[in-house]
Amino acid sequence: MKEKIIGIDLGTTFSCVAVLEGGSPTIITNSEGERITPSVVAFTDGGERLVGRLARRQAITNPTRTIASIKRQMGTDHRIKIDVQGKTTEYSPEQISAMILQKLKQDAEAHLGGRVNKAVITVPAYFNDAQRQATKDAGTIAGLEVMRIINEPTAAALAYGLDKQHEQTILVYDLGGGTFDVSILEIGDGVFDVLATDGDTRLGGDDFDQRVVDWLLEEFRKDTGISLTGDPSAMQRLRDAAESAKKELSSRMETTINLPYITADASGPKHLEKKLTRAKFEAMIDDYLQRTISIVDATLRESGKTAETIHQVVLVGGSTRIPKVQELVGKRIPGKINREINPDEVVAAGAAIQGGVLAGEVDEIVLLDVTPLTLSIETLGGVATPLIERNTTIPTEKTKTFTTADDNQPAVEIHVVQGERKMASDNKSLGKFQLTGLPPAPRGIPQIDVTFNIDADGILHVTAKDKATEKTASIAITDSSRLDSTEIERMRKAASEHAEEDRRKSEHAEIRNRADQLTYSVEKAMADLGAKVDGKKRSEIEDRVRALRAKLEENASTDELKHAMDELSKSAQDVVSKAYGEAQGAAQPGGPAGEREAGGGDEPDDGGYIDAEYDKK
Amino acid sequence: MPDETKSNPASECARVEPKPAPDACASPESAVAAKEEEIRSLVDRLKRLQAEFENYRKRILRDLAAVEERTSDREILAVLPLYDNLERAFSVYAEDANVEAFVAGVERIFGQFAQILDQRGVRRIPTVGERFDPSLHEALLSIHSPQERNLILEEFSPGYVRGERTLQPSKVSVSQGPTQVEKEER
Repeated sequence: MKEKIIGIDLGTTFSCVAVLEGGSPTIITNSEGERITPSVVAFTDGGERLVGRLARRQAITNPTRTIASIKRQMGTDHRIKIDVQGKTTEYSPEQISAMILQKLKQDAEAHLGGRVNKAVITVPAYFNDAQRQATKDAGTIAGLEVMRIINEPTAAALAYGLDKQHEQTILVYDLGGGTFDVSILEIGDGVFDVLATDGDTRLGGDDFDQRVVDWLLEEFRKDTGISLTGDPSAMQRLRDAAESAKKELSSRMETTINLPYITADASGPKHLEKKLTRAKFEAMIDDYLQRTISIVDATLRESGKTAETIHQVVLVGGSTRIPKVQELVGKRIPGKINREINPDEVVAAGAAIQGGVLAGEVDEIVLLDVTPLTLSIETLGGVATPLIERNTTIPTEKTKTFTTADDNQPAVEIHVVQGERKMASDNKSLGKFQLTGLPPAPRGIPQIDVTFNIDADGILHVTAKDKATEKTASIAITDSSRLDSTEIERMRKAASEHAEEDRRKSEHAEIRNRADQLTYSVEKAMADLGAKVDGKKRSEIEDRVRALRAKLEENASTDELKHAMDELSKSAQDVVSKAYGEAQGAAQPGGPAGEREAGGGDEPDDGGYIDAEYDKK
Repeated sequence: MPDETKSNPASECARVEPKPAPDACASPESAVAAKEEEIRSLVDRLKRLQAEFENYRKRILRDLAAVEERTSDREILAVLPLYDNLERAFSVYAEDANVEAFVAGVERIFGQFAQILDQRGVRRIPTVGERFDPSLHEALLSIHSPQERNLILEEFSPGYVRGERTLQPSKVSVSQGPTQVEKEER
């Protein structure tokens, strides 16, 4: 195996490390079990070095020996003087950054179980040569050979695979905890060109938290006349609560900030409880968000582009989870917005991809497709039973066992459909064929293996095989993964729009199947054990079987069927439980029956293939 | 319609004998063809293995999410009795505002809560008088005091460990040691 090259996002407040595994980036968790590491370094009284979460926790007791946001000093002559036990040591920003890199390197080594010597490190697009060189030197000090320094927006674009698409212009909007960056890139032939970059090095999610804290302080003061600013414990609780409220408002419209016993005065304990709506929160931070949009405008002007000429937007940084941010950016830039990858991790993921390319790992990986939609066969009641779920990487092979729906059914029809809907008829039909010559057997006894095999070219081979006779039939469908993207999108939308309706339909079909099965089970049980059942009971059961059959025939509602099934089950409980016990072992009912035909009685013909009928649509 | 679904492409001689035996595979053309067939089959196997890895990864992610969901279900189930008991306490109190009985009831519920934490191996982190340790404590305040530097003076909110892991650090104030003036006086 080739030597791994890790990708590192060396951030102002947080850093993140990733590595390419099997062709896709994996974020490496640190020794504290977290996926991002605070970019903080500290030296304790005894000279012990702390990096990350632990360094941050002790910052207040040890401010002169705790260093945060060292990234802002990269490429300068700034020196950090650290006194430990009376001895002063000077550190350059490169050395401090190297300590962060060293921790990330160790975490990567723990993850990979071996030495890591090479890395790709990202820097902001606006970093000058001195700052880039300093970053590279930091890597060297940390014992890493820096294979390449790449721009953060470039890394983000790589993570989305935008370099593999046609020539285009993209805008990267990066709103992190403490900094905001906008970059406009032109991509062509895998080459990235930064047309313009701008930002605000003091604007980010921490400011939003502060706005919420300020609001809470003011509200509490209005309600109680008490100022909490001098109470470090209350302030810390406010800050934590503000941050979680902010996060919660990304998925909910309203949240309650509840801090019981926040303080006390002569009259007793005081509690803080405030509702914060998304709208209110958005209003609180509106000026910040408007500022980011005017920076976007300025960057567009500088690049000589207009909003309409931007093909795609990539969102980076945790604060882009705020729905208002997405809305504002979407309003300003009509192009496609990419935000599927975790915005805290997308830069490291892109760096890892670059690392994989440099390691030659990407060449080794054959690029594999995925199935865009679920591939299923139609089973009893018109239900689409999936064999290969959508987004499965191909080539792949899946087999499921089905059975017959009628006694002595001589053939099963295999109807292959594609799509996310629950009912086969709502999906796209890809083709059908029959497996014939099944020997006579009671329903549910034959076992028919249906195998879906998609090769690397996306050709779907469907094979049905009767286990008893070894008879097989098959078709090949060439266009199983060749839907154009608009069609895929349309089908997916339809699926989610119809989810509820589909659920009902599929439930109905399932109840019908169960009802059908129940009548057969009871009949079979009556035939076997009927002699032991007294006449009155017997006729009651038979009446109810007939009633349920009638309901099935008149296509009664799910509830009516359930009711009739309950009635039957109640009266035939003992008999049925015995009968069901036997039926449990059988495979799931499948393939709508072909015409009935008595005494097909073919002998197992040593696995010989038979020609399949099939019509491909 | 060709029905070939599983191919055993490499010819017998190429499969059985990696270095072609001269008598079995005499003609160079057939040897090359056999090799090509073998390569084709190996590439197919590689692709399938790789696709299987990808699908495995996807499945693991799905399974992990499901496990996480079930784990959190279990934890919710563990604390639901507390919620129910608190509700009972309030409804009893609403009928009969007996403060002493209410407090006694709530104390029992608190004991029940402590038991749940204890069963899960959750331990409270000792603070006041201990030496500050960033792996266990988070400093909210650092103040001059006659106490030795780095000793914990006050606990603002408790922290907990479970086994070796810190679930939540204690939030504390830490001694900075004596003031500058005091130091100079020494």
